[in-house]
Amino acid sequence: MKFGLFYELQLPKPAGEAQWGPEDEKRIYHDMLDQVELADSLGFDYVFEVEHHFLEEYSHSSAPEMVMAALSQRTKNIRLGHGIVLTPPGYNHPARVAERISALDILSGGRVEFGSGESASEMELGGFGVERGLKKAMWEECTREVSNMMVQTPYQGFQGEFFDMPPRNVIPKPLQDPHPPLWVAASRRETTMLAARFGMGSLGFGFETPDELAERTNEYYRIVREECFPIGHAINPGLAVLTTFMMGKTDEEALTRSANGPAFFSHSLGYYYNPVSGGKHQPGEKNIYDDFLAQNERDNTMSARTGFIGEDEIRKGEPKDEVQRALYRAARSGTAVGTVERVRETLKTYEDNHLDVMIFVAQCGDRRHEDIMESIELFGRELLPEFKERHEAEHAKWRREQLAGVDFPVNSSI
Amino acid sequence: MSRVDRIQDEKLRALVQDAFGIMRRNQPTEAMHGLVVALYRLLEVRPELATEQLEPRPGWKMPFLTRWPQYGANWKAGSLAAGKPEIEFVRDKFALSEVITCYEFLLDTAIKRQA
Repeated sequence: MKFGLFYELQLPKPAGEAQWGPEDEKRIYHDMLDQVELADSLGFDYVFEVEHHFLEEYSHSSAPEMVMAALSQRTKNIRLGHGIVLTPPGYNHPARVAERISALDILSGGRVEFGSGESASEMELGGFGVERGLKKAMWEECTREVSNMMVQTPYQGFQGEFFDMPPRNVIPKPLQDPHPPLWVAASRRETTMLAARFGMGSLGFGFETPDELAERTNEYYRIVREECFPIGHAINPGLAVLTTFMMGKTDEEALTRSANGPAFFSHSLGYYYNPVSGGKHQPGEKNIYDDFLAQNERDNTMSARTGFIGEDEIRKGEPKDEVQRALYRAARSGTAVGTVERVRETLKTYEDNHLDVMIFVAQCGDRRHEDIMESIELFGRELLPEFKERHEAEHAKWRREQLAGVDFPVNSSI
Repeated sequence: MSRVDRIQDEKLRALVQDAFGIMRRNQPTEAMHGLVVALYRLLEVRPELATEQLEPRPGWKMPFLTRWPQYGANWKAGSLAAGKPEIEFVRDKFALSEVITCYEFLLDTAIKRQA
């Protein structure tokens, strides 16, 4: 199993304040650069950063290509993942996506991971005039054509349902051949299986449990072997899963450091993605963090972070709907929160179920930069080496077996 | 073994297999129409799905069938609330990714409900 860091660049407003401080956005951007630089030096494999727009407090990461460009000059080995680029053409013209991915690949020495998706929040869809009912079809058409643009010399042009373009040579071309590994954001099981059919890695934003993962892994790799029709020019077989991350010398210290992070992540995600309330956000006015604190007062949501609760207890109250369940679990389970021993034990369950990449959500809510840095350091020094060793010795062999007989070209960093 | 083989109802299994075959021939629009026929068969085999409710959050209920991805083969307004689900096509063309997503939902539901 490989490891990465995940960034939404969350920035809750100060409690009781209408706006952030003048240096707050600068601070989280520069904190992130420091965190990833440290992770790179310790041997972390990936950083993935989202593209979101207008989702105040939840995500201030609207220009990940700029952050990735900065990281390409401050890091040496870590893979730079778009997790994800919004590819419907209302957000980004496909040629501009291809140009930016390729330029970043050159600047980083071939370290780009190209994740794509469509988003589902009304703030974004409405803000850019992307029709909700067509966004998946747009994603497919444009992601396929971005892949073609990175490969064809010249790009032969396209007349599609959602964008047209005459023949042009889209330059530069990426360093990786034929193009960087392709991923798709997958918050539901159906999308993970779509990823398998299209030969893409699945960026599992659904906070899957080890039990769910076992079934999904088997089915994902079966589809890659038997029923794949690639969207790109090389396949990237791989399953990645998100989990919350914070470490400490004691469990109590880790929980205290974890703070409101996962619960705020869940609360603000639910706020923007709720089909009823999501579109009613008052831009520039609302303080979501205040709402979050008030809800905690009412519901005692934060009680979960006063101690570790077991799988059975988590399951008792969890919703049946997959997305809602993921949010519930994100707020309550502490998969990678705790001491070295506790985190090792819990991550091992994912490793045993053949997860390819575990991506840590470290920066979220009101967590402190110093605590995140110490956690990255602790994980990198105490746990990463043994997982790396097993990855090379055991998981790589398992992957070769899974992919035996697959005759598509493969470009994967796993 | 393909997961489709785990569908117990012979007619439903055949319908899903047919839709999958059309999908593999890169005819997504035709495949979506085939999937809707299979969806109706699933509701015949498991009629309780028509009225089953999810409760994503305490006090907020929604029909299970709203999880069917609505890319243009959508539930007719009011049909779920009435407990008589009916699909209407509001688009005449579908993409492969949309069909695959609906296919996976249908397949997974059929298997989990032992249809």
